[in-house]
Amino acid sequence: MQISIRNFTKTFDATTVIDDMNLTIRDGEMLALLGPSGCGKSTTLFTISGIHRMDKGQLMFGDRDVSGLPSQKRNVGVVFQNYALYPHMNVFENIAFPLTVRKDAKADIDREVRAIAALTHISELLERRPGQLSGGQQQRVALARALVRKPDVLLLDEPLANLDAKLRLEMRSEIRRIQLETGITAVLVTHDQVEAMSMCDRIAIMKKGEIVQIDTPADMYSNPRTSFVAGFLGNPPISFLSGIAMENAFSVAPIKLRVPLVPQEGIADGTQLKLGVRPEHFGPEGDIAVEGRIAFAETQGRENLYDVALADGSVLRSIQPAGRNWALGDTVRWHIDSKSVFVFTDDGQRL
Amino acid sequence: MTRNFATWPIILLLTVLSLPLFIMYLFLLVDTFSNTPPGSLLPNEFTLEHWRFLIDPTITGDIWKPTLTTFLFAASMMVIVVSVSATAGYALSRLALPFRRFVLSGIMVMHAFPSVTLIIGVFLVLQFAGLYNSLIGVILVKASLMLPFGIWIMKGFYDAVPWEIEMAGVQDGASRFTVWRRIILPQVKPGLLSLALFAFIDGWSEYMLPRILAPSSDFEVLSMYLNTVSDPNSSTYNFNIFKSVGLFYTLPVLALFVLFQNRLMNIFGGGTKG
Amino acid sequence: MRASSPHRANLLGLAFMTPAMVLLLGFFFLPVVLTSVFAFTNMSTATGISGGSYVVTGNLLRSLTDEGLDAKTIDALGQSNYVIDQAGLERARAAGVDAKFVAEIAERLKDRSFTSSSAFERELKTLPSRPTRVRDLKIAAGAFEQSVLNVRYASRGEMEAALSHMLENPPEGAIERIATASYTGWTWTTDNFKNLAIAPDTWRIVGNTVFYVVLTLAFNVAVGLFLAITTFYLPPAGSGFFSVLWLLPRITPVVLYAVMWKWFTWEDGFVFNIAQDLGLPAFNYMKGSVASAWTVVILVNGFVGASFGMILFSGALKAIPVQQLWASEVDGASRWQQIRYIILPQMRWPILFVTSYQTLSLLSSYEQIWLTTNGGPGSTTTIWALEAFKTALNNYTGNLQYGLGAAMALVLVAVGLVLSIVYLRLFRFDEMMSKPKIEF
Repeated sequence: MQISIRNFTKTFDATTVIDDMNLTIRDGEMLALLGPSGCGKSTTLFTISGIHRMDKGQLMFGDRDVSGLPSQKRNVGVVFQNYALYPHMNVFENIAFPLTVRKDAKADIDREVRAIAALTHISELLERRPGQLSGGQQQRVALARALVRKPDVLLLDEPLANLDAKLRLEMRSEIRRIQLETGITAVLVTHDQVEAMSMCDRIAIMKKGEIVQIDTPADMYSNPRTSFVAGFLGNPPISFLSGIAMENAFSVAPIKLRVPLVPQEGIADGTQLKLGVRPEHFGPEGDIAVEGRIAFAETQGRENLYDVALADGSVLRSIQPAGRNWALGDTVRWHIDSKSVFVFTDDGQRL
Repeated sequence: MTRNFATWPIILLLTVLSLPLFIMYLFLLVDTFSNTPPGSLLPNEFTLEHWRFLIDPTITGDIWKPTLTTFLFAASMMVIVVSVSATAGYALSRLALPFRRFVLSGIMVMHAFPSVTLIIGVFLVLQFAGLYNSLIGVILVKASLMLPFGIWIMKGFYDAVPWEIEMAGVQDGASRFTVWRRIILPQVKPGLLSLALFAFIDGWSEYMLPRILAPSSDFEVLSMYLNTVSDPNSSTYNFNIFKSVGLFYTLPVLALFVLFQNRLMNIFGGGTKG
Repeated sequence: MRASSPHRANLLGLAFMTPAMVLLLGFFFLPVVLTSVFAFTNMSTATGISGGSYVVTGNLLRSLTDEGLDAKTIDALGQSNYVIDQAGLERARAAGVDAKFVAEIAERLKDRSFTSSSAFERELKTLPSRPTRVRDLKIAAGAFEQSVLNVRYASRGEMEAALSHMLENPPEGAIERIATASYTGWTWTTDNFKNLAIAPDTWRIVGNTVFYVVLTLAFNVAVGLFLAITTFYLPPAGSGFFSVLWLLPRITPVVLYAVMWKWFTWEDGFVFNIAQDLGLPAFNYMKGSVASAWTVVILVNGFVGASFGMILFSGALKAIPVQQLWASEVDGASRWQQIRYIILPQMRWPILFVTSYQTLSLLSSYEQIWLTTNGGPGSTTTIWALEAFKTALNNYTGNLQYGLGAAMALVLVAVGLVLSIVYLRLFRFDEMMSKPKIEF
């Protein structure tokens, strides 16, 4: 079901957390709300779920205006960060709870619960109590409980934050699998860009209560609209150089760096600019040479990570396949791939 | 605990300080089963005669009727305190209410406030309500005076239940009442049990309210009964008998205390009120 | 908070709060209101609590004379009139006076009045069917007697009507004055507070109260702290034993607890016997001397309160990371240094809390004193709360002075209210009032 949020404003005690937000989640897609803590992504999620009230705006589930409806009447499934399983009920009762309060027939409940348990691979856990389950298993139970009554939308609030690294990887693909199999519209709230990129069809990056950019993961990565988005996506993160516009080029005079501003012309000379260079676009290959010294080297096995300190003190990050290794202190003359760099104005807007 | 220091000086100090208590409770027990010659401290014979009041109403009067009354008193008061605190505590912890802050601060003030001070006012209220000299009146008063404490304790237990569990219940389509009844209430069972125990013990021990608010009524609770027996001016004045009656009276409380000591500990110090 | 608060009153919340609110209003709020209202009355057993009636009594006449009402009026008030009216005739019939005789009275004497019984009786004797016995005649005469003396009038109007009927040409304002003075119910007054302020007893009792609160509190905190720290250093079995022993006074019903102290300190009690054996002065320590009575009072209350401090302090002690203690031992601290420099500084808030909390409850607790020394010997161990209680609800003369007692209680209520609000501020309880997170 398509979810649309229109002109949404939310205020807590005179602090405006969300200001006039518009967002549409397409039917059947999984959308990530990505941003640092305090950006309003959880507030948005809890507004969709009916925990928070909108101060202004409208929330549509398909053609239905649900703005004034409490959670009970919205048919939304939520998976909470700490899973929020009912400790005094066993797994079966937990999953069955939404159906029991709906007063479904016993046989129907049994069938539905077993079906969803099979989908989430927890059929053999139905008699256990939440306290006897591992984090990953609790996560699956929470998913099953959220999905069992076939909600219009599935909301996931930092679902992987409480899992250890290995389980997180496993559950990432599991949640995506289950979402694809059920074809449900889903919203994932996370502060982890890897999670957002790997699980979702589209990402909405939020900052201070506003959506900065909304795009597919690949487009978002290769075509960030602001320096904030560019900085948020990618690991290791992008590095920025400060400079000025000079004769249709980005220029850092002290190190004689000059990167032509290909698409844009007519930028006034002397305008403050920022150049974003992703680590994979700086290395021995490329077209614009920069000289520097290896200030930091880290081996990650398959790849090596380097920080290269330039003569003016700024730093460029680089990631290189293992094999040819440089040592700390080596002076290198590497190149920036000028077709893949991003140029931003001083306030972060992409040129 | 740390093992670097000797413990015997501590035990010695503690023992000296605790001596009066120890003696009082020891002799409370010993004297009910023994006779002591006048002027002596040590008992010289074992006897069960001080316990005859249990079967012989001529000694101190029938004890079973006051026992039943006391039980009814403590139990009804417990039911009121627990049920009213369980609902009000939840409302204050989790639900939107008009003047919520005001009501909460009011209850906190009442919680800290010495309620015995109100006894004269309560006396007048009962007079006007026509509940003076009635068991129901005393039960209502006792329960009400305990309510701020009970609500406070229950609010604390509700506050400790994660909000997400409540939100999950609402998301699952349950009404707030169903959420309370089927999800939240089971989480605060330890709180309910502790409060119930505490209320029962408190009600069982109550002396002042029945004495003042129902002095000439036809019901008598054990505390009043014991006070009559232990009046040094009464004809049945006998320390050993009223110690037996006293021990009999206190046994249920002691038993509950021993059985549920850890739960009660929470509440004796917990809720910031003893 | 903004005007457009997202929270709307929750019906379930209102329903859930209602029973509590009803009980709290009825037995907390209303008593406070009544206490403050009746503190400004002279209500007592004599006046009743529900209002009164209007009666002129012999006592009232005497006090009116003392207040300078003229002798003629007083005299007239004391007089009886005999009026032959319908009401009188009915009274006579009801009193069993011969019907024929009554009929004769009605016929011959109707609407006449007599100012003295002798004149009336003389007149009656002239009637043919008069009774033979003098007693019967007096009963018949008595039925027609009309007097305001010792007659109860429900309203002021009736009393004034009766007075103007009785008094011929009363002095200016006399009727109103007599009617006001004849009221038996309670009236508004600020005398309670005036009397409290000037009575020498007041300040002695205030002194007693301060003495009692300070010493008991000191005992509670010191012993509570001592118990918490010592049991902290003991192995579990030992600390368990002492914790339970010290908790016993708290759970023992107060009546039994008081009796145990009586056994301990009374004549022929435990301490008495020991003292006798040792040749020390042996007497009833609970009531025998002021010093021993105070000691008993403070110990009785102190032993109950110490466990409260013990529990809170123990909790705070357990919250101190044990690494701190190990570190101090590694650093070579003696036990006393450990307590002095590591433990006590971290006990500041619990101590402050216990102190403030117990101050409030000690100020108003009189149950234990009432059941042990009962304020004696004399009234040397009487504290404010006990005196208020006795004045209003429990004195031996039988005249309970609700108004004065309420005034005394109101002083405590005011002190309690101020202190509890101060404490709430002090301990930042308002931080516990976070708003509900579900806004629907």
